[in-house]
Amino acid sequence: MKIFGGFFGRKAELNEEIEAHLRMATEDRIERGASRRDARREAMREFGNVPLIADVTRERWGWLLMENLWQDIRYALRQLGRTPGFTLTVVLTLALGIGANAAIFTLVNAVLLKNLPVADPKALVRFGDVSDCCVYSGANQDGNYSLFSTDTYEQLRKNNPEFEELAAMQAGFEPRPVIVRRESGREVARAMAGEFVSGNYFRMFGLQPAVGRLLSDSDNVAGAPVVAVMSYETWKTKYNGDPAVVGSTFWVNAKAVTIVGIAPQGFFGDRQSSGPPNFYLPIQSMVVIEGADYVRDPDQLWLDIMGRVKPGTNLQALQQKVSTQVQQLMAQGKIFSSAHDRPLLAKVQVVLAPGGAGIQSLAETYQSKLVLLMWISGLVLLIACANIANLLLVRGMGRKAEISVRTALGARRGRVVRQLLTESIVLAVMGGIAALAVAYAGTRMLLLMAFPGAESLPIHASPSSEVIGFAFGLSLLTGVLFGVAPAWITAKAEPADALRSGSRTTAGGVSLLQRGLVVVQAALSLVLLVCAGLFAQSLSKLQHATMKLDATNRYIVHIDTQTRLTSMTQAEALYRTIEERFHAIPGVVKVGIATYTPMEDNNNGWGIDIEGRPDAKGQASNIKANAEYFDSVGTRILMGRGITAQDTSSAVAVVNESFVKKFFKPGESPIGHRFGVPGMETSSSAYEIVGVAEETSYTKVQWNYRHPMYFLPLEQRTTGAAIPFEKDFMMYAGSVVLETSRPMDDMETLARKTLAGIDPNYTVVKFQSFADQIADRFTQERMLARLTILFGGLALLLATIGLYGVTAYTVARRTSEIGIRMALGAKRGSVVAMVMRGAVMQALAGLTIGVPVALLCVRLVKTQLYDITKVDGGLLAASIATLAVAACVAGMLPAQRAASVDPAQTLRSE
Amino acid sequence: MAKSGYQNRIELMQGTLDMLILKTLQWGEQHGYGISQAIRAGSGEVLQVETGSLYPALHRLERQEWVSAEWKKSESNQRAKFYKITALGKKQLAADYERWGRMVATIEGIMGAEGGEA
Repeated sequence: MKIFGGFFGRKAELNEEIEAHLRMATEDRIERGASRRDARREAMREFGNVPLIADVTRERWGWLLMENLWQDIRYALRQLGRTPGFTLTVVLTLALGIGANAAIFTLVNAVLLKNLPVADPKALVRFGDVSDCCVYSGANQDGNYSLFSTDTYEQLRKNNPEFEELAAMQAGFEPRPVIVRRESGREVARAMAGEFVSGNYFRMFGLQPAVGRLLSDSDNVAGAPVVAVMSYETWKTKYNGDPAVVGSTFWVNAKAVTIVGIAPQGFFGDRQSSGPPNFYLPIQSMVVIEGADYVRDPDQLWLDIMGRVKPGTNLQALQQKVSTQVQQLMAQGKIFSSAHDRPLLAKVQVVLAPGGAGIQSLAETYQSKLVLLMWISGLVLLIACANIANLLLVRGMGRKAEISVRTALGARRGRVVRQLLTESIVLAVMGGIAALAVAYAGTRMLLLMAFPGAESLPIHASPSSEVIGFAFGLSLLTGVLFGVAPAWITAKAEPADALRSGSRTTAGGVSLLQRGLVVVQAALSLVLLVCAGLFAQSLSKLQHATMKLDATNRYIVHIDTQTRLTSMTQAEALYRTIEERFHAIPGVVKVGIATYTPMEDNNNGWGIDIEGRPDAKGQASNIKANAEYFDSVGTRILMGRGITAQDTSSAVAVVNESFVKKFFKPGESPIGHRFGVPGMETSSSAYEIVGVAEETSYTKVQWNYRHPMYFLPLEQRTTGAAIPFEKDFMMYAGSVVLETSRPMDDMETLARKTLAGIDPNYTVVKFQSFADQIADRFTQERMLARLTILFGGLALLLATIGLYGVTAYTVARRTSEIGIRMALGAKRGSVVAMVMRGAVMQALAGLTIGVPVALLCVRLVKTQLYDITKVDGGLLAASIATLAVAACVAGMLPAQRAASVDPAQTLRSE
Repeated sequence: MAKSGYQNRIELMQGTLDMLILKTLQWGEQHGYGISQAIRAGSGEVLQVETGSLYPALHRLERQEWVSAEWKKSESNQRAKFYKITALGKKQLAADYERWGRMVATIEGIMGAEGGEA
């Protein structure tokens, strides 16, 4: 403030000083006999150029630079304000182009680039470079393992001193929520994410607790009192940061657990996830809490491993050593025991990958899509830049006369260029600010699209400093680059030439550069339109793929069975109660109960042996279901019978069409054949096939018709099971499917009430209509389709504005020429045709380039598409037509203006 | 007459204006117009100080604290900015004058030397 006070004060003072000088000089002259008028004029003449001298004088104080800048900015704002259409177009173009990129970049940065918020993430190493889930026991064809058994982890930890710490964590905590209820207070039980980790997990990451303590090795011992660490976010948002949480008891899956501490703020676990862990529990407590026996099974692979290496470790040698160790451990287990799988053992290896970003399961899922989106948003930005360049060029040319006048009046070239540059920068800054707003809104939208329903996403929409730098850097670069060139060209022109030639110009008004920019825009937007069309088609094909499911008036209630049962013998009674209570709700027609349902992110695959067919081996997925299940999800029985309420002791199974196709000869009836599941049953003739169900989609549409499945009665107990009945977690039903006679909006409330009626602590883990559950499986595809359509539309809009700008400029430049043509007898129609021809020719040139490029681009995006391998004619025609319509609109408005030129007026103004 | 008068005027050498201003101010404080008139009169109308040089020079001297400035009433009862030489300015004037003397002597040494024909 003081600076400005001194600055303005000095300026006024100098003016006063000069005025005093002039007055004294005038008085002197009057005294010598001159008239007052002559005296003043003579004094002024002698003094010289008052403002120039004032400027030069003020420069001695170093003020002028700032004064000039201030003046430039004010002048720039005034100039921009005089052409609001231009300003708005440029700012919006910049905002959309850069905002879209910044939004995508925020997501890319969070998902693909960012390291975990832990100590020295560069020293972290991850075992395996692909993310597997969740519990697995099988011989990998390529031998590349990234999941390990508890036993393998413990051996690796013991035998590799190269690691400062080697920690393990549950790979599949995301699909397996735990049910949590605080002991004190009247809170209802709720499903939360709990991850089972080794005792040194937090130590490996180099973290300090926010409150209390973190886990230690002594917590991760069988029989130790079960403790847990709560995430900071959970503590703050779900328990209001209550300090009493630490040391208190929580019921986790109905088992008492003591919360010993709160994890540090900002720590979201070992991986980017849409549902980061609320609780961290020791691996050994999993036996108690999940009843999961696979924790102790050396052949069940379920752990991710990460370690912190000591400085100077040779990773290559370590990888070799670790691979050999894992191979030796696996040689002792059952996975490679069969003659068929034995040769694969030699291939077993572990890749040591950089672990700074954690287990990159999310990155692996989204990488290809994010890269694609980056390309597309980059193309949109390119189009936006072309637009800005064009608009600034047109504006620069349009101001030739003005600038010539200023140069002729004595403005220095540098000053003029600086003025134009200031204008560009002011524009760019305005665009940058608007872009940040777009980026924020865009990122929020993106996150909603990518992770719908995510509660505590560790990715935030507020732009990071990188994003702010990215947005402003980009807009300044665009503004300066495309602002300086026309400024320089204009300022270099001889003022006299420009003034002399006046406004009389003919077709030479638009440079090749400008036309070129418009053609490139048209070509790029065609490519993006075709892309948008492809993704829309792909999504539509996915959604309309014959899933053979009926979602009308159907609801899925995910439940937790395990914590309700103290003994497995209570299961049947619980299921019967659930059936009865839900049937009691008016409007409910069918009540299906199953381990999992169609089109949810779950699968339970097993190896199959067909009795008497040693050659017929393979994988099939297992579902246990009650009698009404098939009806409740709308699956038809094609052959034999479905499951009945009487199937409690007889070992029967219903299989799907793919199962029949895979294990039986064409035309052969599978009914009456028997098969075994080596992992589940000791006998290869455990189940008799009693029916064949129509194949419907489970897990994902991409699996259609190559997904063998078998369905077992939920309450069926078989003799000779490999897993003791009490430990058979397949007895735990995960969902209730309700078919109602009419749409019921209050179904969720009713479901909660019904479960609470069975037991006040019984709760809904997740409720969705069947249609929503199916739609959720297309989240990524829907996001891609919507975004490509959005970007395609944006590109088209920008290209249209670009074409309009150039055409309108041509018309403005040729107004007098058009007037003369019309005076000489040209028809309005032919004038319109002349202008339109220019616009259409450029669009055509764009098409000529765009069509082959678009056809080539399909190859790049093919892997992202479902059931589409090439651009079909209809799509191409539609894209071309869209672009053509846009070109006509862009051409029509200026053409109309050209046709309304009044020849008489033009001639008069000549 | 006016034309020849113009031709007789001498362009000031770089750096000498500062010295002349400081010298003028040694006789007492003065405003810009007064300084230009004093230099012109003192040089017998030969040295014409351009205002375009005078004011930037005055403000530079003020910034360097060789002169100080004050708003006062002039003899004709006009408000004007009066400049006054400071102690620092006097030192500078002495140094400038000495350098000037050396330069004149040096140039004279070259110009006045007997030697080759003209």
